[in-house]
Amino acid sequence: MPSRLLYQDYQTHPSVWDEMMSGDGVRKPYQNISDFLTRIPAEELTKKEELAKRLFMSQGVTFTVYSSGEGIEKIFPFDIIPRIITAAEWDFIDRGIRQRLRALNLFLRDVYHEQFILKDGIVPIELVHSCPHYLREMQGLNVPHDIYVHIAGIDLIRDHDGTFYVLEDNLRTPSGVSYMIENREITKRIFPDLIPQNHVRPVTQYPNILYKNLKALSPRKISTPNIVLLTPGIYNAAYFEHTTLARLMGIELVEGRDLVVENHRVYMKTTAGLQQVDVIYRRVDDHFLDPLVFDPGSVLGISGILSAYRKGNVAIVNSIGNGVADDKATYVYVPDMIRYYLNEEPILKNVPTYQLSNPDERQYVLENIAAMVVKKTNESGGYGMLMGPAATDAEIANYISEILKDPRQFIAQPVVNLSSAPCYIQDKVQPRRIDLRPFALCGPDGIEIVPGGLTRVALKEGSLVVNSSQGGGSKDTWVLAY
Amino acid sequence: MLSRVADSLYWMSRNMERADGILRTLKINHLSSQDNTDEFTWRPVLRIFSNLAEEDIGTIEHEGRKVLHYMVLDRENANSIFNMVTQARENARGVQDNLTRELWQCLNEFYHVMRDPKLAQALQREDPVSVLDLLIRQCMLYYGVSDITMFRGEGLCFMNIGKYLERCIQSADILDVKFSDLSYDLDKTTDTTYWKYLLMSVSGYALYLKKYRTGFEARNVVDQVLFNVDFPRSVLYSVNQLHRYFGRLKGDQNIEGYAKIDFMVGKLKSKLQYSDVAGVSRMGLHHYLSEITSDIYAIGSTLNQYYFAYS
Repeated sequence: MPSRLLYQDYQTHPSVWDEMMSGDGVRKPYQNISDFLTRIPAEELTKKEELAKRLFMSQGVTFTVYSSGEGIEKIFPFDIIPRIITAAEWDFIDRGIRQRLRALNLFLRDVYHEQFILKDGIVPIELVHSCPHYLREMQGLNVPHDIYVHIAGIDLIRDHDGTFYVLEDNLRTPSGVSYMIENREITKRIFPDLIPQNHVRPVTQYPNILYKNLKALSPRKISTPNIVLLTPGIYNAAYFEHTTLARLMGIELVEGRDLVVENHRVYMKTTAGLQQVDVIYRRVDDHFLDPLVFDPGSVLGISGILSAYRKGNVAIVNSIGNGVADDKATYVYVPDMIRYYLNEEPILKNVPTYQLSNPDERQYVLENIAAMVVKKTNESGGYGMLMGPAATDAEIANYISEILKDPRQFIAQPVVNLSSAPCYIQDKVQPRRIDLRPFALCGPDGIEIVPGGLTRVALKEGSLVVNSSQGGGSKDTWVLAY
Repeated sequence: MLSRVADSLYWMSRNMERADGILRTLKINHLSSQDNTDEFTWRPVLRIFSNLAEEDIGTIEHEGRKVLHYMVLDRENANSIFNMVTQARENARGVQDNLTRELWQCLNEFYHVMRDPKLAQALQREDPVSVLDLLIRQCMLYYGVSDITMFRGEGLCFMNIGKYLERCIQSADILDVKFSDLSYDLDKTTDTTYWKYLLMSVSGYALYLKKYRTGFEARNVVDQVLFNVDFPRSVLYSVNQLHRYFGRLKGDQNIEGYAKIDFMVGKLKSKLQYSDVAGVSRMGLHHYLSEITSDIYAIGSTLNQYYFAYS
């Protein structure tokens, strides 16, 4: 029985929730997969892993790293064993994210209008005004249907007892959804029949829902509005995602240089002259969007686009200035927002978070820094953070001096033990830490969350950092129908 | 269609057409080099398809493997197959949403074939024809996939415009260089294999045998490569196709640009239709070919001005 060897080293950690193994053996939802993995010889599994790599490569599901003038194609690492979410777990996540997203949209509407929540002292006013992503240009502007966040990628993690926590709210230009779709396509190829046998809910409807929402935002009430996806271009690491989404929605993929603003209207330059653009799904950050208003050196944006937006002549998705709501310091107040705006108790919990601008909390964090994760409030992608347990004394000392320069820029959280899931690594099934990013779409008809998401995995043994820029990979994510 | 997209499709297509043409020429020249009593020279090929200076051509013209490496894989040679396929793929990558998935995958796979280190080894040590055939097959796959899967819209028009424009230039250039060896004397008799290989490199040998029963004559070769409307690599055939696909762009918009280019293409077509080999001979073949190619370049730059300008 060579296949048994696959499991031989599956050592779960006592203080970590393992998605597949409990103290009593394999959890029920994983039974099918587990049986399959014990039946199949290791060579077969390795072959499947190679097939997956080859498919990603030939389909161009890659990003390009440019060095010495020649591009090198890289694959975002993919682990072939799917991650499973039960129907009950999904129901909980679904309700939790809906609630959170409703509150966050209300918060953005409020912050950029009357600011009741600041006046009532629920969220400190200086917190908002010191946030670099708070944009005065948005003040008093009415956005269509009061929707600021059309697409959210809220990151969830599970603690040692399996409880879900929100790690961060990504409300600007969350990425990764193409991998939710592509990973499923690959799984269909490498594990034929396994998906229907497990009653996995489909994810392919995502682009259709997004398209429906985008179309509904068109300021011109015409039957065929021009909807475009604005990309920074082929050198962007997420370019593959931009082209996939444009293709799956049948909309035009444009770069800043394809657009021009005239008389507060946005046009694209076509072979038949200028054509008015109605809706822009932009994957360019706020600060590069309009060189006249933000970064004057930006070549990715379009001069005058903000004025067209303010006039209501073009819809921009996600709205501008959302960063004030997913700032890591604002995060602390999201449960309060839910209570304030919705009069409900938060369904999904926050990870306990200390704000270093608060002297008492700062004191506590500095004393316990070895057991903390410290993050910059306005950085993402796993950059600029300190993992207390893994850092050297010198790194900690350095980081503390950075903190003391401007404490507002930092928050700290106790290290949460991300849950682990089985991964096929070096011919063995081994546990690795994972998180979950479901993608929520908010349109005039309400919020829809495609059952699935991006499961990111820290492929390095013992690592807790799942970001792709820090050696993370991804998994197909199965939400079971029952 | 976005001007940038039209521009990319046009150049993707030109790059692929050029790569295909060069590969075929390389293959036939290699075969010809194995069938030669004198020392074989690659000079004409290098003069048509590379930017090498005369003295650099001199250093490698007799070394087939070096020429093949330079023309197929050299990263420094802007016209190497490697660079053209890379370029075509970059063009395609930026406009994937306007291509079918099949076509993008086809180009992407071609690119990965070009990067395979085994290819370089095989080209140096094994049978070069097998390597060239493998690459030619990739080109044929590209043509087939684009024909079968691409929707019949503006995008395909720009691809075809690029393809036939490039083909005109290539066929004219091949004639020009081959005849420069004979000092453009259309009555000079030469070895029949000279013509045979020329025709084979433009896949026109079988047609020639069927159509021109008097044996190999320079005038017939000129007739076929310039004026034969049934020969898919003749200049006239390519201009006819160019006219056909350009005609489909006619619409309510960009009327000025359309009229201007339509006039230029129509004029070139008439010039070719109402020429014959006797006339070309009187005028001088080199002179005639220069006129044709400069007309084509003018069409290219006017397209650029009226349809592709975006930045």
